[in-house]
Formats: sequence, C-alpha cells, structure tokens
Amino acid sequence: MKIAAYRLIFLAGLIALWWLASTMVERNLVPSPWATLLAARQLIAEGRLGGALLDSISIYLGGYAIAILVGIPIGLIMGTMRTLGKTLEIFVYALSATPRVAFIPLIIVFLGLGAQAKILIIFLGAVMPILINTYAGAQNADQELIEMARSVGARRRRIFGSIILPGAVPFILVGLRVGATIGLINTVVAELYTAVKGLGGLLAIYGNTFRMAEYFVIVLTLAMIGVIVTEALRFLETRLGRWRRSDVVV
Amino acid sequence: MIVSNAPLQHGTTGGPETAPHRIVLDGVCKTFGAGDKAAGTVALKDVNLSVRDKSFISLLGPSGCGKTTILRIVNGLIKPDSGKVLISGAEPRPGPNMGFVFQSFRLIPWSTIRGNIEFALVESIKDKAERQERADRYIDLVGLSRFANAYPSELSGGMRQRVALARALATEPDILLMDEPFASIDAQTRELMQLELMRLWSARQSVALFVTHSVDEAILLADQVVLMGPRPGRILEVIDVGLERPRWKYDIRAEKRFIELRAYLWDRIRTLVLTDPESDFYGRDLGNGS
Ligand SMILES: Nc1ncnc2c1ncn2[C@@H]1O[C@H](COP(=O)(O)OP(=O)(O)OP(=O)(O)O)[C@@H](O)[C@H]1O
Ligand SMILES: [Mg+2]
Repeated sequence: MKIAAYRLIFLAGLIALWWLASTMVERNLVPSPWATLLAARQLIAEGRLGGALLDSISIYLGGYAIAILVGIPIGLIMGTMRTLGKTLEIFVYALSATPRVAFIPLIIVFLGLGAQAKILIIFLGAVMPILINTYAGAQNADQELIEMARSVGARRRRIFGSIILPGAVPFILVGLRVGATIGLINTVVAELYTAVKGLGGLLAIYGNTFRMAEYFVIVLTLAMIGVIVTEALRFLETRLGRWRRSDVVV
Repeated sequence: MIVSNAPLQHGTTGGPETAPHRIVLDGVCKTFGAGDKAAGTVALKDVNLSVRDKSFISLLGPSGCGKTTILRIVNGLIKPDSGKVLISGAEPRPGPNMGFVFQSFRLIPWSTIRGNIEFALVESIKDKAERQERADRYIDLVGLSRFANAYPSELSGGMRQRVALARALATEPDILLMDEPFASIDAQTRELMQLELMRLWSARQSVALFVTHSVDEAILLADQVVLMGPRPGRILEVIDVGLERPRWKYDIRAEKRFIELRAYLWDRIRTLVLTDPESDFYGRDLGNGS
C-alpha cells in the first residue's frame, strides 16, 4: 500500500510538471491540466470519446484475439516439433524484423480502408511477439522434468499438458504483454492510415487543427488503455505464478 | 582378505541364490556426445551386471564413473550403444513399475507436494480419491504431512529430496532406482530415512539400485556393493556385504565385517581418485590417511 501512496505522489509531481510546461511553452502547444479536463468533459458529453473508444477497442481486441489464437498454437507446435521449429524460425525472425507498417499500403490495396484492414494491421503487429515468446517457452521446456515424466510412464500428451505447456506460461504471458502494447500502437497507426476513425482518427483531426486540449485527452485515453491491458495481464501473471516464492520478483 | 572377488568379468549379485535375475546388463556400452569429429565421453564400457530379485545393490564410485547412466539405462530412459539390457526378461520400459529418485530432485515447481506425488500415480491408479490417499500416505512416510499443500519452492533442499523419494516409493515399484537420494538430507534425518528405507524394502522385497558416495551408507543398506571406476566408466568389483538382516536390530557399525569392508572400500576409492590423471585430485598426497 505504501507503493500506491508513492505512485500517487509521483503522479502529482507529473501533473505539476505538466502544468509548469503549459505555462512556459509558447503558442499554447501544451494545454494546462485544467483545460484538458474541461475538454475531456466536453468530449464525453458529446459522446465523441465514447464512440471513438468503442471503435478503437473493438478493432484492437479483434486483432489481438486473432493474434493470440494464431500465435500461441503455432509457437507451441514449433517449440515441440524440433525440426519444424528449426526450419521455420528463421522465416519467423525475418518477418518479425521487418517493420510491418511496410505492409500497410499493400493491405489497403487488398482490403480497402475498413475494419478488416485495421484488424489485419493490428494482428500483424501483435502476433510476432506472442508467437516468438511462446516458441521460446516451449523450446526451453525443462528437459530434466520431461525425463522425470517419461520415467513415471507419462506419454507425449501428458508431458505436453503438464510439463511443457505450464513451463511455457511465463514466456507466453510476456509475449501477450508485448503483443498488447504493439497491438495498441498499430491500432493508432491503422486508424491514421486508413479511414480516419476511432481514437487514431480523433488524434489526426485534433493534431492537424491544433486543438491541443482535445488532443491531450486522446493521448491520455490511449495511455489508460495501455495501462489497463498490461495491468490485467500482470495480474494474470501473479495469479498463475503463485507457486513462485513470494520473494522472487515477478 | 575378506573381499573375495577380484575384478569381475561378470558380476552376479543377488539376495537368495535361487532368485531369478531381475536386472541383466550384458556388455553395455554408452558414449555421450560422439559426433563426426568429437570422440565423446565413454560413460560406460562393457558393463556386465546381473541383479537377483529382492536384492539391494549399492553403486559406489568416484564422480563421473557412470552411476547415473546405469540407472537411466535400466529405467529405459536412454538406450545403450551396444550390449543387452533385460528387465524381468524384457526390454526396459519406464513406468510405475520402476521408481526413480533423481539426483536433482526434479519436482514440478507449479504443483503442490501432493500434486507432485500424484503425478507419478496417474498411470497406475485411476481413481482420484485412492490416488490422493496413496500420495498422502507416502508424504506422511517422509514426514512432510504439514507440507502436502505447499509448493516445492517453499521447502528446504532436504525436504525436496524427501518428496522425490516419496514420489518414487509411492507407486510401490518392483524396481527402485535411487541416485544419491539422501545426499542433501541432514545427518539425523538421513539416518531416519535410511532406516525407513530398509524397513520398506524388507517389507516389499523389491530390487533396489542405490547410488551413493557414502561408503558407510553403501555397506549399511546393501546386500552387494558394486564398486565402479571412471574413464571409461566400468565395474571394478562386486562385493558381498554379508551382514545379517534386519540391520537395525544391532549396532552394525561396531561389527568387524563392517569395519573391514569400510576400510577396504575407502582405500580402493582413494587410490582410484589419486591415481586417475584426469581426476581433480590427481597426485595429491592424501594417501596415508593423515
Ligand atoms: N547427457 C550427457 N551428455 C554428455 N555427457 C554425459 C551426459 N550424461 C553423462 N555424461 C558423461 O558421462 C559420464 C558419466 O556420467 P554419470 O552422470 O553417469 O556419472 P555419475 O557416476 O553419476 O557421476 P556423479 O557421481 O558425479 O553423479 C560423465 O563423464 C559425464 O560427463
Ligand atoms: Mg550421478
């Protein structure tokens, strides 16, 4: 609980700095916290923030969910089938090193500017860290535990279910967290590049028209989504990691 | 000298002379890590060993002489490069019929102690309640009832080793393979566990292969002590202990036979370690018991 207090103090410090910046920077490029709050109230009252949020979150969660459904199974298969994994990994690494925003024009050509294109862009961003971390987790399975399981007569299916998969969970969760962050980034990117909608759309509108208070509201909303998603995943991590000693930092 | 067998070609060990051979190793060789260029480590070279039913065998020898490798081959976890292995007349196959206490406990960190023991019972006991009952009985046997719901990370090293022992015992196997099962248990608990193991073994009369670095422990528990040497790993000698059972009924350490055996084995091992050019302690002057 001490931590919560320190965090609040730090937050207060940040807001103070923000306020200071708003008084010093010229041309009203930085809105004051108070102006931002007023803008937020107005945006909420007009229903614009809610609408944009719903737009963004639905494509974000859509793309992210597909990334999970694709990334985890492929990672597990690659990690348990050695030859297949070794064959494919170089292609996976190559693809993950390619900036996937490079595909956006191509995606627009094929899918247009609608939700499908956005979901694909988010999917492409989120799937790689999920896949690669899952792969690493399955590959790093504890060989000694696997041998122990073989010695008590466990077959492949049980070895997978009770040794390899649970052993990979911490890796998978890291992948989910990184994937969630990249997915969020790609949500905004997708909304900026395709049909200007959602939070990314508002960002573009307010940014181009120098309505900085509104602009800040959107940025803060995005930050909030990021915090909520990663904190939820962190919570899941501690729940699933109860077997760890409490003095181990997670 | 009381020790009869000179280096044996075919070490036959066993309790009752009439019992059939439960474990037979015939000309077993195993080399690790031999590649196109690398020569590899010869872990076992031409190992012959026949173990009679209902006998307790201690494997004794310097580090790296292939003790763990023998247990893994007997369990069927790895195959020898050449030679024959027969367990009850058949190919070795891992399963609840053999219990293995690993040198490095190998507990599942995300399972409770009870879960860890039940893990070994899944193949042999289908009924859940019965499985838990059996697990709890063996947790109690190693004195860890209070920790049945704890996770391995909450236990000390010695406690974890006892869980590993309980897991191997719980399937009530015909063959028990134990790789230094008491190495990290404190002296008092160790004596208790040795006693408990002797009791269990004499009640069930299964075959036990017991790896240890402690000469005392090797003699105390076994019908036969198998002395092994390193580089290449091989059996040097099989020695009948010949001390009366049950051994907890008298002070075995005071017996003349025990003292002689102990002195002999110590001497052999010391010579092995000090004359092996690859040993970490080659050529040190520790020879005269000073
Ligand atoms: N998986 C492996 N890969 C490569 N070399 C191995 C492997 N397992 C064992 N060895 C080698 O084989 C030899 C025998 O190993 P083993 O583990 O059987 O020895 P040990 O008698 O059990 O030793 P210790 O008393 O130290 O446990 C050693 O030289 C070891 O380096
Ligand atoms: Mg060993």
